[in-house]
Amino acid sequence: MADTSLRLLQKRMDSIIMGKERAVKMAVVTLLARGHLLIEDVPGVGKTTLAFTLAKAINCSFQRIQFTSDLLPSDIIGVSIYNPDTREFEFKPGPIFSNIVLADEINRTNPKTQSALLEAMNERRVSVERRTRTLPEPFMVIATQNPIEYHGTFPLPESQLDRFMMHIKLGYPAFDVEKQAIVQLSSFEAIESMPPVVSGEEIVRMQEEVDAVRIEEDLLGYLLSIITETRRDERIRLGVSTRGAQFLLKAARANAYYEGRDYVVPDDIKGPAPLVLAHRVILKSRTYISDAEKVIEDILARVSIPL
Amino acid sequence: MPLIYRILTAILAFTGCIGLIITGQMNPVMAVAGLGLIPGYYRFMKGRAHASKWVIGGLSIAALFVFAFDAVIVTGDVFIAAAHLTIFFQAIKGFDLKEPWDHLQVYFVSLLQLVMASELTRSIYFGFVFVIFLIALVTAMVISHFMKEGTIKAIDIKRPVVIISTLTLVITVLFFVSEPRLRGGLFGKSLTKGIKTAGFSQKVDFGSFGEVKLDPTIVMRVELDGKAKRPFYWRGMTLDYFDGTSWMDTLGGKHIVLSRGGVFNFVPFNKDDVITQRVFLEPIDSSVIFGLNTIAGIKADVRALLIDNAGAVFTQGKGLRRITYTAYSILKEQPVEGSDSMYLQLPPHLERVKALAEDIVRRDKTDMQKSRHIEQYLRTNYRYSLSTSKPPKGMSPIEYFLFDSKKGYCEHYATSMVLMLRSIGIQARIVTGFIGGEENRFGGYVIIRQKDAHSWVEAVINGRWTTFDPTPSTAEEHPSIVFLYLDYLRLKWDRYIVGFTSADQWRIMKAISMPLAFAKTPGLPLPEIHMAYYVLVPLFLIVFFLFLRRFTVKRYAPITARYLRLRKIMRKHGVRVDASSSPFDIKREAERLGIDIADIIELYQKGRFGGGLDHKDNMRYMELIGKVRMLQSRRLK
Repeated sequence: MADTSLRLLQKRMDSIIMGKERAVKMAVVTLLARGHLLIEDVPGVGKTTLAFTLAKAINCSFQRIQFTSDLLPSDIIGVSIYNPDTREFEFKPGPIFSNIVLADEINRTNPKTQSALLEAMNERRVSVERRTRTLPEPFMVIATQNPIEYHGTFPLPESQLDRFMMHIKLGYPAFDVEKQAIVQLSSFEAIESMPPVVSGEEIVRMQEEVDAVRIEEDLLGYLLSIITETRRDERIRLGVSTRGAQFLLKAARANAYYEGRDYVVPDDIKGPAPLVLAHRVILKSRTYISDAEKVIEDILARVSIPL
Repeated sequence: MPLIYRILTAILAFTGCIGLIITGQMNPVMAVAGLGLIPGYYRFMKGRAHASKWVIGGLSIAALFVFAFDAVIVTGDVFIAAAHLTIFFQAIKGFDLKEPWDHLQVYFVSLLQLVMASELTRSIYFGFVFVIFLIALVTAMVISHFMKEGTIKAIDIKRPVVIISTLTLVITVLFFVSEPRLRGGLFGKSLTKGIKTAGFSQKVDFGSFGEVKLDPTIVMRVELDGKAKRPFYWRGMTLDYFDGTSWMDTLGGKHIVLSRGGVFNFVPFNKDDVITQRVFLEPIDSSVIFGLNTIAGIKADVRALLIDNAGAVFTQGKGLRRITYTAYSILKEQPVEGSDSMYLQLPPHLERVKALAEDIVRRDKTDMQKSRHIEQYLRTNYRYSLSTSKPPKGMSPIEYFLFDSKKGYCEHYATSMVLMLRSIGIQARIVTGFIGGEENRFGGYVIIRQKDAHSWVEAVINGRWTTFDPTPSTAEEHPSIVFLYLDYLRLKWDRYIVGFTSADQWRIMKAISMPLAFAKTPGLPLPEIHMAYYVLVPLFLIVFFLFLRRFTVKRYAPITARYLRLRKIMRKHGVRVDASSSPFDIKREAERLGIDIADIIELYQKGRFGGGLDHKDNMRYMELIGKVRMLQSRRLK
């Protein structure tokens, strides 16, 4: 049953990434919803660990791309190389051809490379030399960006941010957890030795089941009134798009599935909503996404729950 | 908080204060307090933050000081000062509306203000304000109820608001009907000051009419039967003695007349021949009662009236009350009961006037011809004007009018005529009252105002008091339709709302019990009919209320209804529950307080969003809700 394997997955991951239950849960929910994850936080709080652990736990291939200013699209997608034996050009797939892709410090590279990645994320396939190549299933990009180091960065435009289902922050661990974490230094060894919990095929099956989660008419109304409320709030310059609404619905279904239900309840919408919506709105005052999260929470406190 | 709720709170705060302001007890304190309402509620509507505790506290203390100052010095009346204090309260509260409880306070104070206002005024505008208050209050209550339930958007509140408002109004009317108005208010306050009139006292200074001739204050309204013809002379009282500067009533000789079955008879009359006038007299500072000449009888709800030798009628006491009476007038002129030399009295030094009078009438033979001639002379040779100048020192105002300025108003004309008649040996006197009035076609009545105040002349011709009016007629103004309609409403208000008597109550009762009238027919099973009546009416009411319920209360599915009950219980335990509280929020909050409702929430969500509960789950859900209710009663014990 999906229920038990997901519980186990969470437990395993929590044992490695300590004190980050919500972030872990949301990462899994994003995976179940076929979404991509954007983690924004200072370096060294476990962004990479989270991505790596997830890949390991679901027994999938994992690639990490360190984004630098001189990175080219071909460094991500792959390149055709002349093979003298066969006298043909042979396509060497880039790091994007793996199940879990960690795009580290995505805002450090130039927009051209950024958009190559984001296009692949959206279409789930890449076109090289007029041949379309499908990316493996499941496929999930976990991108990280640093909020502080703005030197030599290319901040993602809103249209690109929109493609990430969720935007989460890890934050510093709690005092006791951190004390524990600094002692057991090498978490990578622990990850390496971690047995997989579910297979990639199972994840794909779960993703299909997520699509079948039922949602009541009233809850769709609730979801949509949150969305329309973002377009009406006076602090927001640009509200959430229809794609944003679709993402929220997907996230709600995945959240319900994760909780072991085959129906959506209000909290499946209310819980992920700040993470799904905050990076999709543009505030009137130029501020950080965390401020937007607060605005979304205000909106949630205003919209009534269907009874 | 929905905007509509904020608007309603502001409306309610303002209606209470407006209710007080229209009582007319306006003074500087009230003006300041009333203006103070605006900034607070402006901020409130804009959704600004509440003022700090220190500001509120400071303002409150200041308000108390003002109250003390107000009660002792400005108004000298604790009751009115308290009314002012409530306005201050509302103004300060505007800066400090946080909890639902604050809003309730505003509503309560507003109600208090209206109760106070009802003591101080009988104005129709109060009625408007009250209806607005009632509807706003009902709407606010309905919204606040649904807000608490968290169903504000799930429900269309229009229907409950309309139905509950109507019901409240109906109940108010029932209360209203069951309680005939008593004299004086709840607190025994009657703050009506009375309209200051000119010409209806023992001594009337010459020129006093000029002061009121521009005053549009309504003095009385009269419903007339078809027999009366214009111009209407509403006769008040007569004055006989003129000392050169004022008129006096020296012959009065009022005597008491007692009512016979509610009717006072002064002159025997036949009810078919008289002109019937139903008069609604505003509170004036005189006890005179007006009617067309000659008043033969009065029907009024008092024990005794006074009448003097000249046929003027007075109430006992000093007026100052709104009175309603019916006057019966006969158009026959009164015979003179013995001549009185006082009607020939003249102030000294009137040789020029006498000469003029003799000159005018030199060719006339009869008294009638002479009088008409003088009347005509004054009408044609003098100009009507309210702007008169003072006569030079040592000159009597009459001589100044007749020979120098040649302009004046009714007093000048009437006084001149009386003096001229007297100088040629015809007995005459001044009559004060009102002339004409505007016809209000909406109610078929006549409006008489201060500016209709008039004086004219009565002279003895062939042994009868005959009426003359030497004042030339002036152009009449036509008031607007809006004014007329409003005034019609005002009359009805005064008549049926303010002046609702036990007799009216009796009439309504009779009208309601009309269907029972046939029960008096012999042979019918009387007790059964009564029974049927008294059973059917309540039954009908019950059915009606049930019917109402169907339309006002949204029916939730049982599973949601039980969840709502759970929310209510949780709220009583101190769990924060509002419209945006999701089941999980409630569960978490309850857990913090040590109440475990995880199972209930899960079952509710399954039943509500997961396609329904099977029988077993349903039973369990009900059982768990039952347990929570038990928990509630235990805790409350």
